[in-house]
Amino acid sequence: MGQVLVLGLVYGVIYSLFAVGIVLVYRGSGTINFAQGEIGTFGLFVAWWFTTAHHLPWIIGAVAALVMAAALGAGFEWAIVSHMVEANRVSVAVATIGLLAFLVAFEVRFFEGGNIRKMVAPIRGTGWSVFGVVVSPTQILSLLAAGALAAGLALLLKKTDFGLGVLAAAQDPVAVRLVGIPLARVSAFVWGLGAAVSVLGALFIEPTIGVFTPGFASEMFIKGLAAAVVGGLTSLEGAFVGGLLIGFVEVGANRVFDFPGVKMFSILFVMLLVLLVKPDGLMEGFKFRRRALA
Amino acid sequence: MTEPLLAVEGLRAGFGATTVLHGVEFSVNEGEIAGIFGLNGAGKSVTMKVLAGVVPSRGGRITFAGQDITRLSAEKRVAAGMGHVPQGRQVFPDLTVAENLRLGAYLLRRKDKARAASLLDGVFDRFPVLAERRDQLAGTLSGGQQASLAVGRALVNEPRMIFVDEPSAGLAPLVVQELFATLKQVATSGVTMVLVEQNVSFGLQLADKAHILQMGRIVYSGEVGALDQQALAGYLGIGRMLGGVTSSALAGRRAPSPSPAINGSAAATSAEGEDRVPRSQRRRQARATSGS
Ligand SMILES: Nc1ncnc2c1ncn2[C@@H]1O[C@H](COP(=O)(O)OP(=O)(O)O)[C@@H](O)[C@H]1O
Ligand SMILES: [Mg+2]
Repeated sequence: MGQVLVLGLVYGVIYSLFAVGIVLVYRGSGTINFAQGEIGTFGLFVAWWFTTAHHLPWIIGAVAALVMAAALGAGFEWAIVSHMVEANRVSVAVATIGLLAFLVAFEVRFFEGGNIRKMVAPIRGTGWSVFGVVVSPTQILSLLAAGALAAGLALLLKKTDFGLGVLAAAQDPVAVRLVGIPLARVSAFVWGLGAAVSVLGALFIEPTIGVFTPGFASEMFIKGLAAAVVGGLTSLEGAFVGGLLIGFVEVGANRVFDFPGVKMFSILFVMLLVLLVKPDGLMEGFKFRRRALA
Repeated sequence: MTEPLLAVEGLRAGFGATTVLHGVEFSVNEGEIAGIFGLNGAGKSVTMKVLAGVVPSRGGRITFAGQDITRLSAEKRVAAGMGHVPQGRQVFPDLTVAENLRLGAYLLRRKDKARAASLLDGVFDRFPVLAERRDQLAGTLSGGQQASLAVGRALVNEPRMIFVDEPSAGLAPLVVQELFATLKQVATSGVTMVLVEQNVSFGLQLADKAHILQMGRIVYSGEVGALDQQALAGYLGIGRMLGGVTSSALAGRRAPSPSPAINGSAAATSAEGEDRVPRSQRRRQARATSGS
């Protein structure tokens, strides 16, 4: 039981990070950036290039990857999404799948992505034993980082005018422009932040999993998506709760049942169960309303 | 003669293959209240949106405070001194009253926080109900309170000119009178105003100039005092509508029948006093009548 809690927390926090990125973009633009996970993988390639290939410290690789992801997310919004304001939201989501395909192709072509790689951990060390599970310093760090991110986001969104503008843009994208808020900057920020959070998740989970290849973080992204949906897709609190729930269920199911693929089965099961019982997600009190552009 | 504060020349706009505005022309002098009247679907709201910069123009020119703003983004126009009270109010429903007002002052707060704070106090003085409910979510306010919030949100940025689209829609006559008294005060305090009202008898009480919009063209512009009843009836297709204008009793009673509004259904909405009907429902009603 203790092991399930510890491992569930370690994985769940990472799914929470991916879910937070998904919720940010969904609230800001009413759509899902399916490339977000792969931007995380791409961030690993960038970080690997700095750290392993060029022997620079972890932090340099991590910062470079985060900057790259933020630029990629914001740039995609600026170049493509902002020109699709009138378009169906599904069309925008399909456009992000184009970016996903491009990133995978790029990784294969320029990083010889077929080779299996390892990314170094931010902190070395043997770690501590908790309930019979060895918890690495990286895993502790990822918990701290997720907590700091949650607190930072809450502060940003509620305490700053810009953050309040991000929340308002999700409620009425026309009205924010009528009060003088630069909507283009708000959207680009949200897409950039969503992408950067994916890199954070990928950097922290990679040492636990061990190796990465193209598509690595897209699998995490799918679980993050399940977590976001379980949390209601619009609630940041829901994203954290959903991520932890998916983490516990996945690890728990893997202990109880012993057959290949049990993790994905269990996630599907939880997702369907939540959607049947509470179709608007666990955090349905905080509803998101989209106004027609009337 | 001094330059008008706002000059609109040959403004064209549309959606897809349809053209909605076919060369709208009018100007507004500093300190004036310009009323834009017209039947449902004439293009009043589209005109307001093009002036705000949230619907692109397809031709023509907009000059504001001596500056050609035709190509300016909506945000830059707000920075130049425009304020908006859009149709349907469009307050941020899941933010509190105080947060809505803080966003209204988004640009001013970046320049001068102290000035923004004093303007906020001014808005709370003008609308005590907003001060009382500052921590309430805007989506839970009544229609009249949301209208006050929308006006307040435009005023906290210290605009030179505000654009108000159908503030009376869905409000009880008494609430409308109160709101109009406030708008009158705002205008007296030196804010120039463009007011769209489909309830002409309300609108004419407030406006100095009237511009009548018909199928995307201004067909009449002039002093409200010079408008004769016949002409108005001719443009808007109804008679007797000035009957209620001079009568202040209009405020206290249910709208008379035949109604003073341009179309009957709108009068019915404002007469029911349904201050608390959810907005979605009001929208549906509005849409249902827009074909007339
Ligand atoms: N977003 C839009 N897409 C297509 N047509 C529109 C849109 N907005 C308004 N219209 C059309 O433009 C015309 C004028 O609308 P509007 O300005 O809202 O009328 P009103 O004078 O009642 O405010 C109507 O025929 C309406 O159907
Ligand atoms: Mg209208």
